[in-house]
Amino acid sequence: MIAQADSSDAFVRWDWIWGHLDLIWEKVVEHLVLTGIALGVGLAMSLVLSGIVLRWRRTYAPITWATGIAYSIPSLALFAFLVPITGFTILTAQIGLVSYTLLILIRNIVAGIDGVDPAVREAAVGMGYSRRRLFFRIELPLALPVIIAGLRIAGVTTIGLVTVTALIGQGGVGFFILRGLNRFFSTEIVLGTLLSVILAVSLDLALLGAERVLTPWSRRQGDAS
Amino acid sequence: MRRLFRNRILGATVVALALVAAACGSGEDSDTEGPTIVVGSTNFGEQEILGEIFAQALENAGYSVETKFQLGTREVVNPALKSGEIDLIAEYTGTLLTFEGGTSSTDSDQTHDDLVTVLEGQGLTALEYAPAQDKNGFVVTAATASEYGLSNVSDLAGQNGNLVLGGPPECPNREFCLIGLGSVYGLDFASFKPLDVGGPLTVAALDGGEIDVGLLFTSDGVIAAKGYVLLEDDKLLQPAENIVPVIRTSVLDEYDSDLSDLLNDVVAEITTAELSELNKRFGLDAEDADALAKEWLADKGF
Amino acid sequence: MIEFLGDVAVWFTEHWDGDNGYLMRLWNTIRLSALATLTAAMIAIPTGALLGHYRRFGVSAVAVVNIGRALPSFGIIALALPITIRIASHVPDGVPIFGSGLGFFPAFVALFALALPPIFTNTFTGVREVDPGTVEAARGMGLTEGKILRSVEIPLASPVIIAGLRISAVQVVATSPLAALVAYGGLGRFIVDGFSIQDNVQIFAGALLVALLAILTEMSFGWLERRLVPGPLQLSAQDSPTRKLRRRSREISLPIPP
Repeated sequence: MIAQADSSDAFVRWDWIWGHLDLIWEKVVEHLVLTGIALGVGLAMSLVLSGIVLRWRRTYAPITWATGIAYSIPSLALFAFLVPITGFTILTAQIGLVSYTLLILIRNIVAGIDGVDPAVREAAVGMGYSRRRLFFRIELPLALPVIIAGLRIAGVTTIGLVTVTALIGQGGVGFFILRGLNRFFSTEIVLGTLLSVILAVSLDLALLGAERVLTPWSRRQGDAS
Repeated sequence: MRRLFRNRILGATVVALALVAAACGSGEDSDTEGPTIVVGSTNFGEQEILGEIFAQALENAGYSVETKFQLGTREVVNPALKSGEIDLIAEYTGTLLTFEGGTSSTDSDQTHDDLVTVLEGQGLTALEYAPAQDKNGFVVTAATASEYGLSNVSDLAGQNGNLVLGGPPECPNREFCLIGLGSVYGLDFASFKPLDVGGPLTVAALDGGEIDVGLLFTSDGVIAAKGYVLLEDDKLLQPAENIVPVIRTSVLDEYDSDLSDLLNDVVAEITTAELSELNKRFGLDAEDADALAKEWLADKGF
Repeated sequence: MIEFLGDVAVWFTEHWDGDNGYLMRLWNTIRLSALATLTAAMIAIPTGALLGHYRRFGVSAVAVVNIGRALPSFGIIALALPITIRIASHVPDGVPIFGSGLGFFPAFVALFALALPPIFTNTFTGVREVDPGTVEAARGMGLTEGKILRSVEIPLASPVIIAGLRISAVQVVATSPLAALVAYGGLGRFIVDGFSIQDNVQIFAGALLVALLAILTEMSFGWLERRLVPGPLQLSAQDSPTRKLRRRSREISLPIPP
């Protein structure tokens, strides 16, 4: 039917990968930086918004609604739509990436704080803890597992989304996916996809490790993760 | 691909320090001392190759060069050139002229002259143009060509309503694409399939028979590699699209004529055949743009 | 802003018909998403149920959802393309399947792969978390393993299974715009094509349609759950005794953005 497909008939050319390690490293670093900024800003914004929600309960519904809407917009569309406004810049990518983290993080932060046993709160208040001390010394640490669970989900999701930003000039390892797609080179597509998975799983495990370190008192209640 | 802001600052600082060191140090090469020349490119392979050729040729001659490749489409790169974010880029006479509001023709000289005039008002200088051109090319498979007896674009009129055209999504909006095919050739296609910009989707669709006519680019290595038939543009819909280096006039002024002479000499050596070969090696053989440029420049004695 | 929305409204009145109209493309998206999700369900539900019943590979279920979440949709769709092109090139002329290897074929393969993890994990977890006492009692009553699975475990696990289907379906719909990158003619076309000519109205309209479809899908499954699952079993009605189940399902109840 046709001659042959691409000239590099091997599906994955390991020699190519081996020969481009510095480029790969550069893109991995870029990817992690984009992810880090998104998670950092997302977490900060979510803490603020969660604080608002916890103080004024009525804001929970509208805030969840708004972040939910942001969440359901297809990422490709969100980025494509922002470009004429903010250009092919890191800002555009970050606006998109951060908005996808908000729903998950806010939900988990609020649920985490809410999940603190009221008896513990009462005891602390009884012992003379101020509102601030209560929040930082008792509630936040106890809510940490749930918050980190949210951070893990947000982190893994963000890493996958960063690949899409390659379509607007950013991209981390998405650079390889896009370039492989544009020039018949399956090795690059495999490379980009594989790197994204590896980064995501690594981040997940790293956060899990962080959780274990930060909350030595929590017993895992049959939670396989 | 956009480098990180931090890398750029770092790179610029290093280059600045090197320049200072060079200035304080030797007194030779004084005619290549000056501001760093930033070479840019848009987002496809040929652009990166050409960018590398310019950048390396300049570097080899002693100029200090920085590169910013894969910035995006012309909509991004053109403003970057005008604002000074980049200084030099490889462009195509016909399309750039149209983009800047002029009217292009198939006459290479005329198009180039008009381009020079238009760009003057923008603080840009179009240097000499290369023999190499990269135009829109409508291709069919060898089988299709023999089945319908096709060698020119106007031959397609005999199959009006019968054939499917495939190309980049913006083709229906483009004067040099679907619009022109209708107005200049009177062609009518059964349908149009949006695919990609002369990439694997278009090729796969051609091979698989999902489209009959595909839009590729005349310097595309894949046409020869696949044995496609490039239909001749007999009614001259496509303007001249010679490769031309476009540089900011202010940068040119910082140096003497050696800079423009060098670029003109390099450009004079770029032929369509050679460019196609380089494109093929980049696109189909996955070779690196910088290695290809290095080899080509060495061959030509730059 | 108002003017822009006005333009969008006008767009909707002008672009509904024909092969490139949004009605056709909407149908294409629904078709693709439904087929991908249903095919994934056909594989994942029996597998998950069987493994859950025999209570094997507990860690793997969570690992599957973690890996599933870690798969970049863009990468998977891009990856499907060279694979399907290669497959299609080996299909002899005249055989009318797979076409040229682009369009529906790679999009389907990719979305199918992305749909598998949530369905599998939820089914597995749901079946496994059924109260062992109930299962023992059924065994004691003389039911075969198969009958237990079909008549006891799956019905009891149905809310979680349907939740998994819901997550999967919504995720597939939300990811489907990327299929335009492999030449599929769904709603993503408006986004990709609009982007290439910087036509914001088109991008917005396409995005709006996809978002609406995703929300509609979510709501439809919610409705389905209310219809099919007996009252006391519905996720919304459960409380403390099944909190562990709920917590787990909440952890895995979030679809991945596209």
